[in-house]
Order: sequence, then C-alpha cells, then structure tokens
Amino acid sequence: MIHDILITLTVLTNFTLVATSRVNKSIQVAAFQGVLLGLLPLTLGLGFHIHILLMAVAAVVVKGWFIPFLLRRALAKVHIHREVHPYIGYTVSLMLCALGTGMSIVLAHNLPLKPGGPFALFVPAALATLFTGFLLLVSRRKAITQVVGYLVLENGIYLFGLMLIGDMPLLVETGILLDLFVGIFVMGIVINHISVAFDSMDTRQLAELKD
Amino acid sequence: MLALYFVLLGAALWLGSGFAALGRPSERTALPLSLLGSLLGVVGAVLCLVQGGAGSLDFHFAGFPARLAIDALSAAFLLPLHLVAGLGALYGSSYWPLDSPKGTGRSLRFFFALLVAAMSLVFLTRQGIFFLLAWEVMAVSAFFLISTNHEDASVRRAAWVYLVATHMGTLILTAMLILLARRCGGWLWGPILGAAAPKLDVAILVLAILGFGFKAGWIPFHFWLPAAHAGAPSHVSAILSAVMLKTGIYGVLRISGFLPRIPIGVGGVLLLLGAATALYGVFYALAERDFKRLLAYSSIENLGVIGMGIGLGLTGRATHDSWLAALGFGAALLHVWNHAAFKSLLFFGAGSVLHATGTRDMEVLGGLASRMPRTVRMLFPGVLAVAALPPFGAFVSEWVLYRGLFAALMRGYPWTAGLALPALALVGGLAAVAFAKFFGIIFLGSPRSAAAEKAHDPHLPMLIPMGILAVLCLALGLGSAWLLPGLDRVVVVLAPGVSGQLAASLGFELRMIGGFGGALILVGGLAWLWVGRPGKRKNPQLAPNQPTWGCGYSAPSVRMQYSAESFSEGWANLLPGRRIRMRRLKAIFPTPSTFHLELSDSVGLGFLEPRVERLANRALWFRRLQPGFLTIYLLYVLLALLGVFLWMLARPWLLPLLGWSA
Repeated sequence: MIHDILITLTVLTNFTLVATSRVNKSIQVAAFQGVLLGLLPLTLGLGFHIHILLMAVAAVVVKGWFIPFLLRRALAKVHIHREVHPYIGYTVSLMLCALGTGMSIVLAHNLPLKPGGPFALFVPAALATLFTGFLLLVSRRKAITQVVGYLVLENGIYLFGLMLIGDMPLLVETGILLDLFVGIFVMGIVINHISVAFDSMDTRQLAELKD
Repeated sequence: MLALYFVLLGAALWLGSGFAALGRPSERTALPLSLLGSLLGVVGAVLCLVQGGAGSLDFHFAGFPARLAIDALSAAFLLPLHLVAGLGALYGSSYWPLDSPKGTGRSLRFFFALLVAAMSLVFLTRQGIFFLLAWEVMAVSAFFLISTNHEDASVRRAAWVYLVATHMGTLILTAMLILLARRCGGWLWGPILGAAAPKLDVAILVLAILGFGFKAGWIPFHFWLPAAHAGAPSHVSAILSAVMLKTGIYGVLRISGFLPRIPIGVGGVLLLLGAATALYGVFYALAERDFKRLLAYSSIENLGVIGMGIGLGLTGRATHDSWLAALGFGAALLHVWNHAAFKSLLFFGAGSVLHATGTRDMEVLGGLASRMPRTVRMLFPGVLAVAALPPFGAFVSEWVLYRGLFAALMRGYPWTAGLALPALALVGGLAAVAFAKFFGIIFLGSPRSAAAEKAHDPHLPMLIPMGILAVLCLALGLGSAWLLPGLDRVVVVLAPGVSGQLAASLGFELRMIGGFGGALILVGGLAWLWVGRPGKRKNPQLAPNQPTWGCGYSAPSVRMQYSAESFSEGWANLLPGRRIRMRRLKAIFPTPSTFHLELSDSVGLGFLEPRVERLANRALWFRRLQPGFLTIYLLYVLLALLGVFLWMLARPWLLPLLGWSA
C-alpha cells in the first residue's frame, strides 16, 4: 500500500521536474524523488534486514543530501537561477512526459514479466522515470540541469533494480552505487571543465571540441 | 606423429626467439633459437613428406574441440616456410641490424618470428575458429612487418591498403568457414561424408577461391601486393612472397580437398583466372622500373601459374580423371617449391643491391656485376630459374604444367586449356625478357649514378642464405625426379585414389631432364675452364675498360646505354595505366626537353581507387550524425530505447504477418 503511494509520488515528481524552470527547484524535487526511492525498499515487506537498511540509508543520504548538496554548491558558484530557452519548451515537455508515462504503462502490460506481487507499478514507473530523465537530458541546455536529468535517469534504473532486491540485494546495491558514483563523477568533471574552458555552463560550447 | 611434434616445437622456438628479440641479450639468443626452430620445422616437414606419416593431436581449448594435424599437404608448405624463414632470419641479422634507429630492429624480429609461428599454425590447424585466429595473427604481423619503414608515406599507405585487402579476404573466409562448419557438422575439419549438397559445395568452393585469392594475389585481388612487397624490408618481402602468398594456395587446396565432389566448371574458370593473372603480372613486371616491384609483379605471375595448376587439378577431380588431377596438383606444388626458392633468392639479392646503393630505381643502377661479384654469382641462378630456363627447377614445374595442359587438350576439357596453353608460353617468354631487363640493367653496363659506382658486396650472413638458395634452385631442377614420390603423397591428400602416378609416369622424363641439365652444366663448366685457362694470350687489339654500349664513340657517356624503360618499350606500350609526358621536339636544333613516364597498376590505382574514393566521399554524409552536441547523442540513445520498446510492443503482431512464429 505504502509503496504504491511512494511510486505514485515518484511519477508525480517526474512531471514537476519536467515543468519547472528554476534550477534550484528542480534540484529540490530531484532530492525529494531520491528520498522517496530511498524509502521504498523499507516498504516492500522484506523485513528490516541489514542489507536493506543499509541500502535505504545509503540511497537517502546520497540521493537526498549529498548530490543535491554538490549541485547547490556548483549552482552558487556559477550564478544560474533559471533554465532559459530549453531545446524543448515546458508545455511540450510536459506533454511528452505524459505520453512517455502512458506508453510505459502500455509497454509494461505487454512485457513478459511475472505477474502479481508488490511490483505491479514498478515497471511502468521505472520506464516513465527513465524516459523523463532522458527527456531532461535531451531538452535542457545547462549542464547542471542535465546532471539533474542524469540523476532522474539513475532513479529510473534504481527503481528497476529494486525489483531484484529480494534475489540479489548486494549486487543491486553495489551496482547502483557504482553507477551513481561514475555518473556524478563524470558530470562533475564536465561541469567543471566547461565552466573553466568556456567561462559558461552552456553545453553548446562543447560542440567546439568536435573532431 | 613425430613430424607434428617437430614442427610444433619449431614454431614454439620461433615464438621464443621473437620474445627473446625484445629482451636484453636479444640477437645472441634470438637468432640461434629461430635457426633451431627452422631446422626442426624443416626436419619435421621432410619426415612427413618422405615417410608419408600423418599425425594429429586432438584437444580442447577454451571449451572448443581443436585439432592440430600434419599430413603431406601441410608438410609441402611447412618445408618452404621454415627454410625461407631460417635463411631470412640469418639474412636479416645483417640486413636490418638489431640496433637500427627507432627500435625497428626489435619489432621487426618480433613480428617476423610471430609471422612464422602463426603461419606454422595456419598449416597445421584443422579447426575453423583456430584457423581464423592463426590467419589473423599472420595477417596482422605481416602488416607490422610491411610498415617497418613507416617513416615513408608510401610504405604507410601500402601497409594500410594491405591491411584492408587482407581483411576483405578474412571477411569472405569467415563466411566460407561458417558454411563449411554447417557442412561438416562442427568446427572441426574433416572429409565431408553424408548426403550431397551441390549448391552449398559450390558456395564454399567459390568463397574459398575469392577469400584465399586475396592472399594469393590473383587478379583482381592483387592490388595490395606490389606496393606492400616493395616497401617491406627485403627478407620480409622474401617470406611474404615465397610463403605468405602460398597460404592462399594452401587454403584453396585444403578446402577443396574436403569437398566430396567438385563442380566441373570451377576448375576451368580457375585455369583462366590463373592464366590472366600470370599474363597481367608478367606484363607489369616487364614495364616496372622499381626492381622490388618488378619482383612483386613476378610473384603475381608465378601465383597465376600455380593457380593454373590448381585449376587443372580441380578439373581432374571433378571429372574423376586421376592423371589430370595428378599433373595439375603436382605442377602447382612443384611450382610452389620452386617459386619459394628462386623468389626468396631474388628478394635477398634485391635486398643486397638496395643495401649497397640505397635505391630501388633501376634507372640509376648498372654495372654492379663488377662491384658486387659475389652477389651476382649467387643471384644469377635465381634469374635463370625465374625465367624458367633449364636446368633450373621452375623449368621442370612449368614443364609438368605443360604436360597437364596438353593432356587436357587431348581430352577436350576444360576447353579453357586451349587459352591457357598459349598464355603460359607467352608468360614464359615475357618473364625471360623481364628478367633479362632486371639483370642487364642492374648488373651489366656502366653505373648510372654515384651510388651504383660505390656499391660493394654485403657481409657473409647475407651471402650465405643466397648461396644456399642458389644451390637449391639448381638442385630442384637436376634432382626433380627424386621429388616425385613426395609429390605423390601430397596429391593423394588432394585427390584420394590417385597414388604413385607421377613417380611412375614422369620419373623417366624428369631424370632425362635432370641428366641433360647436368651434362649441360658439365660441358659449360669445362668450356669455361678451357677459355679461361692460364697461359692463353689476351687479344691485344681489345681496348681495356671500354664502357658497355660504348659503340666505338670517342666520348661515350653512360646515358647512351639502354635504360630500363627503353629496354621494355616495345611491350610495355600496350599497358593501360602507363602515362608519358614529354615535350615534342621541334625545330632542327631542338632546345632541351624532358621525358617523364609513370606506371600505375590499372586495376588497383586505375579502377579501384577512384571508386573507393567516391564511396568514401559518400560515406562522409554520416558525419552529419555527429554534430558534437551531447544532447543529440543522448537523443540517439533515447530513440534507440524507444525503438526497442516499440519493437517489443509490435513484435507479437508483426511476426505472424511476416509468416514467422513469434
């Protein structure tokens, strides 16, 4: 019951993320989404095994506090408040996100997955979050919003991975943490380098590096 | 079985010598190791050829069943491989010193050893995947060998063209091996039993001829060959030309040996292809002024001759005509051996000339006979052999091929023998002209440049291999009759049911040829001794040191000599891809004029290159897919993901529409 609510909230945060133009707010919402997903393993009725606790705590701390903290710090340095002129406008993004969510539901119903269990909403929500993350990555111009998009994409993959938690928790944990680490690391380098090399955070400048 | 162990140990020693060359004490360990490896390889191959014993070794590697086996066919190719490789290593120790600049000496020795080890495995492996692996290692180490002198832009280009060409061949071979695996019911090779599948068999055979044709340099797949062989260090050219091209021949023979029935037409077509290749090669050899390219084109010619033999042999198998099969395969193999001997000798000789003068252009050489007397004495038998003159080996192999072609004419099949016969005659004659030019322009006359003036004989490690090969060239001609039993053992592998035919029917003729050859040499030697006997008066009227082609002018100049171009002018005029730029001479007292001639391979440079370039230009369009924006790349990922999703959704409906079960 609770996990259904959490997942529904996650999908709703997707919409918020797509529609918001303030960078600060989108970081907040992404952090909120991270906390929601971090709490999710505790509600699956798998008991309070040490692995599961550890994973929940790690996810909440990393997704809900550490990464947003880093992002805010970066934001404070570069003085950006709004994502202006995204490649795809907010209304269209919202519509695309809705379309993606609908499609995810259709697809999830047609996938040969095991029916029943607490995972009925997992697949469509995971696909929808994945799609939203991609949408953010593709449609936004500023590197920092792209990092948020990457975070959302990661959340989608995390949600997918949660379905396996009963079977191989340790593997899921390490995989997720490694993914996050690598992703943020790479994007951190990218942000740092764009702002150093081009005095701006606009990813269009990177096209200069084309061979 | 003993033979197999010998050869495997030889290959392992070669590999060890390669790694030793990278280490510290290098040359003192590497050279003896490789010589010992070659010795073992030669002993193993000879054992197998003489005793006819076959051995095989089955094992599992990484879960795959694998087989290494030696039989007479493998041994027939392992023998020249290890012979030329050992002599090449000795030659290379002086030709390309270990401490040559930029570390090329070490990498050259390493890849040379790797090439030999990989080629040994190519000849031994009887399993599709391992064959491909060994084949690739061979091809790639040859690439590194060709690009040894990579400071030169033309060498880099030649190496790249070679790499592309060899991978085209590998691509076709991969398809062929997959089909063969389906036919054999597994990756292990063996004679195919079971029901006939004519279409599959034709596909396998044609793909094998195409794929191995890239390696063997049959037209139109020869375009990589001249530049690659000319650009490589000379002992590498020797092993590439004498052995690596033959891996293509080996492949065609090996694969066709598995097929239960050969389609009739293939042999005739191959005969024609071989004849065309031989003619093409010899014409370009005739017109070439770079002497290493000349030798490379001559390799194309000889591979064409070998292809003609295989074509005859395959026709013999298709028509169950054992005599034709024996003659065809026998001629091909005999020519493989002869070509290995004389072409490596010629490349070693060419290397000595290059070493002494630093140029590959014949037009600036000349008069080397008096400056490099030992080299000339070693090289001359090779020149006679490549021109297929008696009593040298190539004469015998072409003679067996003539016998086969006449036999085919008598039987009326394949009808292409009627075209191949005059082609072979023309090839023989033109090869003699081409090598008259090669020898005459480089070694006779007066030196055309200061570099040729100051040339000198190389050191002993370069002369010894040439001496051994020169003796071998002669021995292959004089003693050809004793090769026949070994040859028969190879033919049995290729055409089961043909046993001992060559030794029984050709033994007498070849003994006669050898005997006459020996007598000729004896008489010639006696005459030479008599002419040069001490105490003979010199003709006092003979002016000392008159330049050749002096023609009695009072002030002869070296430019009055025949040049390489003028020597072959009459024939080379026919060639496409030969461009002359000259200013027409006008007036009674003409001003100074220029003459410029360039020769380009009409298939490679003339036909293929513009087309490939156009294709590459078209392919540039795809660069628009790479605009440099991160978001666009992410969009591609998203689209691919959506595509997969949609495919998953649409699959249950689409597949029944196409008539497949979902």
